[in-house]
Amino acid sequence: MWNIFKPEDTIDFSTQIKPILNKNCITCHGGVKKNGDFSLLFEEEAFANTESGSPAIIPGNAAKSPLIQRLHEDDPELRMPYQKPKLSKEEIELLTKWVDQGAKWGEHWAYTLPKEVEVPTSTQSAGMASYGPDGFIKNNIDYFVLKKLNQNGLEPSPPADSSVLTRRLALDITGLPPDSGLYEDYNSGKITYEQLVDNLLADTSYGEKWASWWLDHARYADTKGYEKDMGRTMWKYRDWVIKAFNEDMPFDQFTIEQLAGDLLPDPSEDQLIATAFHRNTMSNDEGGTEDEEFRVASVIDRVNTTFEVWQSTTIGCVQCHSHTYDPFKQREYYNLMAFFNNSRDEDTSEDEPNLRFYNENQKVEIDKIYEWISKNNNKEVATSYNKFLKYLEPVYHAHLAYNYTNGNLADTKWLALRDNGSCYLDDVFTQNSNFIYLRYSSGIDGTKMTIRQDNSEGEILSQFTINKTRGRVIQKFPFKKVDGKINLYIEAHNDKIPSTSPTSYITWFAFLPEITSANEAQAQIEDNFMALINSHVPTLPIVIENPDYQKRTTQVFERGNWLMKTDTVEPATPQSLNKWNEAWPKNRLGLSKWLVSKDNPLTARTVVNRVWHQLYGRGIVATLEDMGSQSDPPSHPELLDWLALRFMNEHQWSIKALVKDIVMSGTYQQSSKSNAQLFNLDPNNTLYARGPRIRLSAEQIRDQALSVSGLLSNKMYGPSVMPPQPDGIWQTVYNGGNWVESKGEDKYRRGLYTYLKRTSPYPSFLTFDAGSREVSTVRRTVTNTPLQALVTLNDPVYLETAFYLAKYMEQSKEVEMGIRKGYSKAVLVDIDNEKLMILKELYDNSLSDFIKNPNNIKEFIPNDENGDAKLAALTVVATSIMNLDEFLTKS
Amino acid sequence: MNSLDRLIKEQINREIQAKTRRHFIKECVAGMGGLALGSMFMGCNPFLGNSKNGKIALTERDINPLASMPPPFPAKVKSVIYLHMAGAPSQLEMFDYKPTLHKLDGQATPQSLLEGKKFAFIRGTPKLLGPQAEFKQYGESGNWVSNFLPHFSKVVDEVAFLKAVNTDQFNHGPAQLFMHTGGPRLGRPSIGSWVTYGLGSENQNLPGFVVLTSGGKTPDAGKSVWGSGFLPSVYQGVQCRSKGDPVLYIEDPKGISRNLKKSTIDAINKINKAEFNEYADPEILARINQYEMAYRMQTAVPEVMNINDEPEYIREMYGVEPGKESFANNCLLARKLVEDGVRFVQLFDWGWDSHGTGHETSIDLGLRNKCTEIDRPMSALLLDLKQRGLLEETLVVWGGEFGRTPMLENREGQKMAYLGRDHHGDAFTMWMAGGGIKKGASWGLTDEIGFSALEGQVSVHDVHATILHLLGFDHEQFTYEFQGRPFRLTDVEGQVIHEILS
Repeated sequence: MWNIFKPEDTIDFSTQIKPILNKNCITCHGGVKKNGDFSLLFEEEAFANTESGSPAIIPGNAAKSPLIQRLHEDDPELRMPYQKPKLSKEEIELLTKWVDQGAKWGEHWAYTLPKEVEVPTSTQSAGMASYGPDGFIKNNIDYFVLKKLNQNGLEPSPPADSSVLTRRLALDITGLPPDSGLYEDYNSGKITYEQLVDNLLADTSYGEKWASWWLDHARYADTKGYEKDMGRTMWKYRDWVIKAFNEDMPFDQFTIEQLAGDLLPDPSEDQLIATAFHRNTMSNDEGGTEDEEFRVASVIDRVNTTFEVWQSTTIGCVQCHSHTYDPFKQREYYNLMAFFNNSRDEDTSEDEPNLRFYNENQKVEIDKIYEWISKNNNKEVATSYNKFLKYLEPVYHAHLAYNYTNGNLADTKWLALRDNGSCYLDDVFTQNSNFIYLRYSSGIDGTKMTIRQDNSEGEILSQFTINKTRGRVIQKFPFKKVDGKINLYIEAHNDKIPSTSPTSYITWFAFLPEITSANEAQAQIEDNFMALINSHVPTLPIVIENPDYQKRTTQVFERGNWLMKTDTVEPATPQSLNKWNEAWPKNRLGLSKWLVSKDNPLTARTVVNRVWHQLYGRGIVATLEDMGSQSDPPSHPELLDWLALRFMNEHQWSIKALVKDIVMSGTYQQSSKSNAQLFNLDPNNTLYARGPRIRLSAEQIRDQALSVSGLLSNKMYGPSVMPPQPDGIWQTVYNGGNWVESKGEDKYRRGLYTYLKRTSPYPSFLTFDAGSREVSTVRRTVTNTPLQALVTLNDPVYLETAFYLAKYMEQSKEVEMGIRKGYSKAVLVDIDNEKLMILKELYDNSLSDFIKNPNNIKEFIPNDENGDAKLAALTVVATSIMNLDEFLTKS
Repeated sequence: MNSLDRLIKEQINREIQAKTRRHFIKECVAGMGGLALGSMFMGCNPFLGNSKNGKIALTERDINPLASMPPPFPAKVKSVIYLHMAGAPSQLEMFDYKPTLHKLDGQATPQSLLEGKKFAFIRGTPKLLGPQAEFKQYGESGNWVSNFLPHFSKVVDEVAFLKAVNTDQFNHGPAQLFMHTGGPRLGRPSIGSWVTYGLGSENQNLPGFVVLTSGGKTPDAGKSVWGSGFLPSVYQGVQCRSKGDPVLYIEDPKGISRNLKKSTIDAINKINKAEFNEYADPEILARINQYEMAYRMQTAVPEVMNINDEPEYIREMYGVEPGKESFANNCLLARKLVEDGVRFVQLFDWGWDSHGTGHETSIDLGLRNKCTEIDRPMSALLLDLKQRGLLEETLVVWGGEFGRTPMLENREGQKMAYLGRDHHGDAFTMWMAGGGIKKGASWGLTDEIGFSALEGQVSVHDVHATILHLLGFDHEQFTYEFQGRPFRLTDVEGQVIHEILS
């Protein structure tokens, strides 16, 4: 709608024609259906011959174009849109003009590069008040905003009061109310606004606040999801995100490490941790489910998430059919899938591969092993052993075995053979190894295992006995050296057990290149190696790539069904986006470079738009999840492009610099006070004639309450915590997990550290619109419900915070002064008389209620032995303050 | 009006439309001067906030997202009670009588049936298992019911059976999601959320979409089966619990009297009103409304959740067990809730996964116990609704996430200690009763052993289309814009099952 200033004469495809086609035509003539063999999705399709044998659009001749003729038909069987009301006169006129003008197909803004734009500094404001040190214009952002305001006959609002602004800024940058010292320094004029901004950006709480935002994108959770929803240790990834934000890791590097850290040359431990981004996919432990189905589901989720997070594109639909509205073809979906289809994970119950975190002594031991093998064998072999120590890969998982006799894949997890049991395991590359490594557990002694080549008659490659184990162990057994890929036939014999009992439970098989040396220390080195891989150490699921001999091919699924595989495809990116650079490897590393290439039209715009949304509660493109022909048009297209280019070129992808640009603007610093005229003209504040006013997020609401009451712990990092929640919340099927309430300061940690169980998230967060993170969330809807009121009024967590705020208020001799102080501690502004009187009245009512019913005092404030009616009444007042809209909202 | 004004107006309307599906700006002025609980938003629809410098135009939904809205087409029913037997009940022991299967009991399953089929646990060639219950025809309809359900056999003429429902999901989690959200993966809104979004709630003191669980566990797929997906979370199901607070945090803190709570909310809302005068942000009005509703809910929810005040004969009729979490209690609660105008009541009863791995999950013993648990209450529910004239405006739906195999489960290829049946989604039974439903109907026919549909196969999408139809929606037009495209409960499929409609 903002394109009304275009010259009337030339019709613009993207803004004037495409919306009409999308709304009225594309459902039947697009990606899913191509009625009459006519599609308006891609340019070449639109001008191709249709079923009738000739094209529907004849450029330059609307009168002869069936597309236009059909709009005028009186016969409802012939008129288009079929069985729908006739298009409006204006719409038909536009389409006719467009065809007559040559039917020029245009590219959508989202798929063309951000344009270099000139900052509209010459804009004339309605009043000169906009300029000068106290005026609206603070940086270049404001010129773009002011231009649009002027076009709409509006003026910016005056700046917000400095106290309101301090609170807004601190909540936006750190997620917390400002530290009282900083608040004083700024409000007394000791430091400038810019110094305030810099101080807040330098605070480590900045990383925590923005990590919360990113963890929604990353679908970070502490459980695996689906039916059983078992726990999963992911917190080291969360720590990585917090640190990355605090160190202001450039967003391009941030992208590459998360999508392809494992493919970087000699990746550091941190770079491997970063890849856990894509291990936040759910995995299914439900009995009877097939691992391959859910492995594929994870890969699909990775494709969809990558495109949603970096490209503001819902690519998921393309899985089944070419995109209805946007220029993505079905095959291209599988080209993208091919990038992700070769990670080692296979939906196993232990989430392999897992990065192993050794202690310092163990690390020394590992270095020695590496040195020794390098010296006595070669670096290549040493690296294989080193990688195996790092993440126990590559392995062949039990679920690959098939054709069982007297055996089965027990609990869909372990290879379990009974006496005289056998099974097959195909396409195994033994690396010409002289050992086979086995991870298994067994409750009995004396099972004779035989591994043959091909079948029961085949050559014996290995024969050994396995005995009772203590839990799961890794052992190696001599193996006949074989070249190339072979098929294995595995047998077990143990006639001392009932024929129904499994002899053992095998998790995986593995092979490592042979170590050949004449060195007598070899035995010791090998022992140390076995001890290390058997040691119980902390782990984190990560992404690593398949070795060549385990590579999967990727095929197009017919109608998205993973069992109906058709054409084989190679990794490639969609044609409608930026070109592939041949210097990039055709893997996730190349893909991540493609995403953060300056030629990619969507990545920088996406980030800029979402950071803007974090600060303003609304994106420049309001549909954060979608930039394409179905998205809302940008409210300020030039500003979006200007910010995107500045973010990439001048700020070198620095998020802190981007945040700073936005909060330094006069646009951001405006007062959020509205009035009826302004509201009715621009209810969603699309034009930014006022400052942002948004309800705080679930985490912020809790963090703020804890902070104001002085309870908040500033402990950073580490495993998730379990603050108090009502009994009986966790009731997941087959899952023994329990909510074990954290002790000490862990009860009062920031919200982002709260344990997130996907099927049963922390209830008060759920009520305040935090998601369950089963899939990526790029935008939380903000709702306003009675259940939210019940949380902040009645949840013991909030009562405790109110109690401590009341204790603070109690320190003042005069009740009114106490209320005054409590209010300003909470919302950081001085209370006006009207509000003070209302709270004083509430205090008086409460006081007389507690004096009348003294037993209620102990019940209400059990934390304080000497608590009196006065403290109880102040707690009621504190509860009210902490339920005020102004407390729950940043103004 | 110049073109700019017109465009701005259009933009405003479009935003509002996007929010509320229909746009109707109510221009009605409310005096905001004297503020008292319960007076501000009840009665007249004062959807013009009076800020200190003028009136702001709002829709009813801006302030109250649960405001009741008429359906787009004439509706047969106003509310839904959906009884879900989590774990998947065996149609072969309850409703789908297969005498031939009885004769074939113990025989190996023909290979032709097994080809291309995947089962959750059955491996190799399983044996067929005859019905473990006895069947008779009942009522005027002559529909078959097993001796596991003696009470239900007496109300069989009230319901319409779907004997050949089909799902392509055969694991509990995905199948439950499919049954309740129209898709097997997470992220879509549940049917109750769609309905509450579309119609709002008739009772502003209670949540519009209530979930009650029994059987000791929540459904396999977790809370997502009543989640709001991409719809605003205000439309998600509110779980009312039998133990602890019926709704989380609904009880006042100890030591706080109702009067004091009222004073507290009054004070909060008065200050919020002052804030609104300053900021003219309608979210503040919405918050004032929500605090009032929260206060009312605190009384209304415990009241409606209290079954002790029901007359003895009613409690007897359902077979309730006060103080416990039971399906019987939940059936009675469901009636009370729809009676009070709750839009969608979802019951989940856990424990129907009759694999035969133990006594409780055996198809002959355990299943019979589960049937006994539900038989009386669900029959009582139909009768009770009927005697109150509520059945005509309520839809009762019964079913599981899939059905069970005519084959005996042979977990890990071996004989098991108890009799059990594996998951099977090709053809299973559901029933519906209430307004707009053809009484005594039965639609769909399975083959001689109850393995495949012979005719009248319906999909999960068809079931959804039918439920929405009865509520006054065209399932193809009832959409929500998300990620740049319109989404529907029925995805791109679904046909109304007219054969069971009156």
